Amino acid sequence: MRKFILRRFIQLIPLLIGISLITFFVMHMAPGDPTALFADPSIKPEELARIRVNWGLDKPVIVQYFIWLKNAAKLDFGYSYISGKPVVEEIFERLPATVLLMSISFFLILLISIPVGVISAVKKGSVFDNLFTVVSFIFMSIPSFWLALIFMLVFSLKLGWFPPFGNIVLPCAVMVISGLAGITRYQRASMLEVLNQEYIKVARAKGLPEYLVIYKHALRNSLIPIVTMLGLSLPDLFGGAFIIETIFAWPGMGRLGVSAVFSRNYPVIMGITVFTAVLIVFGNLLADIGYAIVDPRIRYAEKK
Amino acid sequence: MIFLFACISAFALDFDPDGRLIMSLGGEVSVVNPVLSTDTTSSAIEGVIFNGLVKVDKNLNFIPDLAKSWKVSRNGLTWTFNLRRDVAWHDGAPFTADDVKFTFDTILNPKVNSVRRGDYIIDGKPIKFKVVNRYTVQAILPKPFSPFLTSASMGILPRHILNGKELDMSDFNRHPIGTGPFIFIEYKAGDHVLVKRNPKYYAGSPKLKEILFKIIPDENTALVALRSGSIDETGIPPKDFHPIKHVNLYKYDALLYTYLGFNLKSPKFSDVRVRQALSYAVNRKQLIGLIFMGLASPAYSPCAPVSWAYSDDVHKYEYDAQKAKELLKQAGVKDLEFTVLVNQGNKEREKAAAILQQQFDKIGVKMNIRVLEWSALLKIINARKDPKDFDAVIIGWSTGVDPDSYSIWHSSQYPGGLNFIGYSDPRVDKMLDAGRREQSKAGRKGIYAKMYKEITNDAPYVFLWYPNVLAGVRNRVGGLSEPGPAGLFMDIEKVYIKK
Repeated sequence: MRKFILRRFIQLIPLLIGISLITFFVMHMAPGDPTALFADPSIKPEELARIRVNWGLDKPVIVQYFIWLKNAAKLDFGYSYISGKPVVEEIFERLPATVLLMSISFFLILLISIPVGVISAVKKGSVFDNLFTVVSFIFMSIPSFWLALIFMLVFSLKLGWFPPFGNIVLPCAVMVISGLAGITRYQRASMLEVLNQEYIKVARAKGLPEYLVIYKHALRNSLIPIVTMLGLSLPDLFGGAFIIETIFAWPGMGRLGVSAVFSRNYPVIMGITVFTAVLIVFGNLLADIGYAIVDPRIRYAEKK
Repeated sequence: MIFLFACISAFALDFDPDGRLIMSLGGEVSVVNPVLSTDTTSSAIEGVIFNGLVKVDKNLNFIPDLAKSWKVSRNGLTWTFNLRRDVAWHDGAPFTADDVKFTFDTILNPKVNSVRRGDYIIDGKPIKFKVVNRYTVQAILPKPFSPFLTSASMGILPRHILNGKELDMSDFNRHPIGTGPFIFIEYKAGDHVLVKRNPKYYAGSPKLKEILFKIIPDENTALVALRSGSIDETGIPPKDFHPIKHVNLYKYDALLYTYLGFNLKSPKFSDVRVRQALSYAVNRKQLIGLIFMGLASPAYSPCAPVSWAYSDDVHKYEYDAQKAKELLKQAGVKDLEFTVLVNQGNKEREKAAAILQQQFDKIGVKMNIRVLEWSALLKIINARKDPKDFDAVIIGWSTGVDPDSYSIWHSSQYPGGLNFIGYSDPRVDKMLDAGRREQSKAGRKGIYAKMYKEITNDAPYVFLWYPNVLAGVRNRVGGLSEPGPAGLFMDIEKVYIKK
């Protein structure tokens, strides 16, 4: 197991170089450059050219990349063009708000969708199952920006229960509603698959009570795909949700990332890319480890 | 008279000494430093923390701020500023002439990423700043330059804190110290900026205890927040400009105009009659009715009506489709087809493009629309080459307090400058130079009036509209300035929350 984890971490290095290289070149190929944002009739183009030189943007892209890589190896990701703040500081300032919003939403989604998925699968074709199938599809089809505005109109303006911003309840509720359907459907499908397996029939045949069959034998195995989903959702947990964060004026990572892209704030884009790449690899690793915990058949054993 | 006086004083006592004003900001705050910032969000905050040597009043005239008075030498080269002696920085240090020199020298330092540097360089030579004594500072210009006071309104930075530091990456930009009516307290990234009253402000202690600048990127959210009373002030889109309970609505003019600019180096638009025809083909009334519900004014000139240099004596191309067709016929142009660039996300300009497409269709001209992301659009029009790769563009100018528009119209500002349409008229060049040399306002007004007439005759742009600023302020807020291009919160120290 330890060797396996170590190997995964070593794999991370070429992966990060590859990802950062591609991002760097794609970013520089996109039209426009960071100084284009300062367009105003009183600003002279010579000034913009001078600032580009100060930022080192006059050098060939490949040279710029190696300078970036050299600094990144020392964990120096540079300074934001817009705020002059270190990129690392910029990211860590936004992280807590996003993690708070996303972790509460994830927790609530799991809390609701796993039981609902299990019940729907066990009582397949029942009124409960049909009702939640319809509800899931409705939730899945509602655009989250629309739901966010409706919630704001109803709960902030008409009822006055929550302020339109600075409160976690409304953004969280929107996240849960739009994320609920996916996991519920997954859970239902994987539970159905498990219930059709031979060993469930065996368990039933040997006379185990139904609740034991479901909770002891079926549930644990049906969670395997959900664990993968969770591991793969780790980047989302830290990456934030752009639309929800924008509408509810939530100061998270999603807004930072999108505004960095629009303003061609290269150092911040690169910082976020590397951060997200590390999270994805780390998330996959967690999913693999999670597998081993929930599924005794999977072992990352050392070769004998 | 006595009765009136009594009324005013009773009213003045009616404010809440612990009042907190909550203002909305539409975007992220970049750096709270007037020398470095380029966004309106940051300048809104700088406005209450910093002071310049001079500032503008509601009629856009320059009035004293940190400088009590100033005079210009007869040759127009030396500007002497007499500074106030009763001003202190928020940390208690006295404000002196050294701070002024330091600020302008910092802007002129090529290593500092200030886009304002060019404003202090005239014909390639920098303006020199000289400390005469503790409270007198001189600016020595290489040649007469009447728009100079605009540059003198730059917020002054504290030398004793910043001297020898690298300004661009300084922590000062997030913990600014100024001389203004409000003292910086905190900045939570992406969320808010909080400032508190400066009881030692030179013009008197502000009536508000605090101002909270809340960042709300979505305009619908800001509107809900204004309605529910979570914020005191926000801009309002035209479609939502209807009475709101407990909110006063304001509509005022700004120094802005939107236009359709032709690439004059393209053979499609080299004939002035074609440009005039397209100007006649635009029904501005319909445009403004459909896009702004009438909440904007038709534009016919490169100067907003609120500017002191505005002149009505220009060539106005009022809607006349018949005349447009005749002009095209005279020019021998048939089947004119061109592509207009519009920036993505600007709903007003996107709508305008669609409406203009139909209006031009009526005179047999086909206009294609290409929607581009803002920085991609700028890359095309600002490309340093001749000719540039576009036919026409819908865009706008925010013109600044001084009417000098050298960078927009002077032939030297192509292809490398903001004259990206390639306008070139020797008479206009001469008038732009003369307007910079002439010291008297009346003289400049005369020069610019002639210039606007000349430009409109050439029809290099189809002037479309002057946008109105639409804003709502909760009625618990008092002490606002008269609505005008300088905004409603011009005298922020006088603004208060009613009891």
